[in-house]
Amino acid sequence: MSATPKIVSPTEAVVAVYVWELPVRLTHWLIVLSIAVLSVTGFYIGDPLIAVSGPARDHFVMGTMRVIHLYAAIVFALALFVRIYWLFVGNQYARWDQYLPVSRERLRNTWEALNFFSYWRRDPLPYPGQTGTAGLAYGVVFLIQFVMVLTGLALYTVYAAPNSLFQAFVFLIPLFRGLQMVHLIHHIGMWLLLVFMILHVYLSVLFSVTERNEIDSMFSGYKEREVTVVRETRDA
Amino acid sequence: MAREQSWLLDELKRRGISRREFLGFCAKMAAILALPSSAAGAIAKAVATGDKPILVWLEFQDCCGNTESFLRATRPTVAEIILDTFSVNYHETLMAAAGHQAEAALNQTVAGHPGQYIAVIEGSIPTGKNGAYCTIGGKSALQIAREVCGAAAATVAVGTCAAFGGIPAARPNPTGAVAVGDAVPDVKNLINLSACPMNAENITALLVYYLTVKQWPPLDQYRRPLFAYGKFIHDNCERRAHFDAGQYVEMWGDPAHRQGHCLYKMGCKGPATSQNCPVVRWNEATNWPIGCGHPCVGCAEPNFWDTMTPFYRRLPNVPGFGVGSNLDRIGIGAAAVVAAASLAHGIGEIVRHRVGTKPSDSDRPSGDKK
Repeated sequence: MSATPKIVSPTEAVVAVYVWELPVRLTHWLIVLSIAVLSVTGFYIGDPLIAVSGPARDHFVMGTMRVIHLYAAIVFALALFVRIYWLFVGNQYARWDQYLPVSRERLRNTWEALNFFSYWRRDPLPYPGQTGTAGLAYGVVFLIQFVMVLTGLALYTVYAAPNSLFQAFVFLIPLFRGLQMVHLIHHIGMWLLLVFMILHVYLSVLFSVTERNEIDSMFSGYKEREVTVVRETRDA
Repeated sequence: MAREQSWLLDELKRRGISRREFLGFCAKMAAILALPSSAAGAIAKAVATGDKPILVWLEFQDCCGNTESFLRATRPTVAEIILDTFSVNYHETLMAAAGHQAEAALNQTVAGHPGQYIAVIEGSIPTGKNGAYCTIGGKSALQIAREVCGAAAATVAVGTCAAFGGIPAARPNPTGAVAVGDAVPDVKNLINLSACPMNAENITALLVYYLTVKQWPPLDQYRRPLFAYGKFIHDNCERRAHFDAGQYVEMWGDPAHRQGHCLYKMGCKGPATSQNCPVVRWNEATNWPIGCGHPCVGCAEPNFWDTMTPFYRRLPNVPGFGVGSNLDRIGIGAAAVVAAASLAHGIGEIVRHRVGTKPSDSDRPSGDKK
């Protein structure tokens, strides 16, 4: 007869899990900063609200806004491409399959998250990475950001020199039915990202309260998780 | 069909146009084609002594605007005479012949000179109801276009309707109108001269280029000649300095409008439209739309009626939000709704005492731990 395991004194312990690797954190904050700069300058470019008077040669407001927009766009695009590359080489929390509810586990996680958001489930979600819903939302956000880069490159062909390598992207314009539609999609994309940001910040604060250090983890990389440590003893 | 050296000069003399004016025209053509002034001599020689190409000009779903644009010269110009160097065998609006006589002229040209004539097409081609929306002499526009353009040495689609479908092809496109390039899949040497109407200077320059260089000019991705469509209106605009400075017209007749500031906020589509309007201008280079205080409507671009409207707004209407929808208002509305929903959800969390308290062990379902 085998010995029966007997559970003695389960204790709570806090374990730090390394979730967000350096490229994930770095690209996250570069994307945040560049989107902030791109939104402010982009909003001005779409609807210039600042009025200046006097001779035109004394001012360069739109010109300056556009230059800042272009440099921020370079940072944004490079950060996004590093992050997309990391979808395929990063750790289990950064990989591409986190952004699609493909596995049974991800589907279950999505269901649990939906239950959590609808107040049905009382417990915080135990999974250290993204919840299934968050992963799906970020997948859509990656897609929107990718479209922003594509439409941005299409718009840049207007300003790039005729012999510039950027003219290679001119074929994108007819795919969107012309430059005006590219402008429209680029502008809609900005609003979608800003609306996402509101939701994202709220949920990060929520999880920081219901769980631990959700926001800190995007700086440190570590998420602390409470686990119940079970010690087993055997009857002699 | 080679001509004698002197015929053009004689003709010019007969019409009271000096050789100086003719050379001025050649220099102007060289300028439109972005060639050095030394090219003017070559152009003059080629135009005065070249062969006489045959031209047929067909009109389909059009308003005759391109023909009108073409005929709008206020006095006999050299350009007109250059066109006379082309034997225009068929032109519905201009020809003296009518009925069967006219059709015979067209058939004779197509059958007698296959691969030698130039077809100029004005207007879009309807494909709906088997082409019944536009028939000439019992044949549909689609049939005629396939016959005539299929056997032409080159096809020049003049105006936005012929080049891209234009207004007849705008949503909901009741006649199934398409551009010449889409209607005739095997068209050879298609050249699109879009704009509503196309600038007569550009077709003249195109034909002069062909007479001089004996080939067709380099084209952009929409098959438009780069000499006329290689630059955005915005880039050659005389008001560009005001755009870069940040000085915009806010309302018709406001001080900025009176001072000639940028029309960007009034919906100018110059930044999305390529054409040489700012350089070549209209009505013998008198002026052009932006020059007289009206924003560009983007008439030279594909899908212009669908994507360049509303003409006095920066962006097109947001799909699904109706005419006159403002994207920024929709965006602010969506942001407000999401912010309010987040706030409500957060209050819900607090009300349920979940925030700040740790769930007890008994609350924890055993299946959640991995």
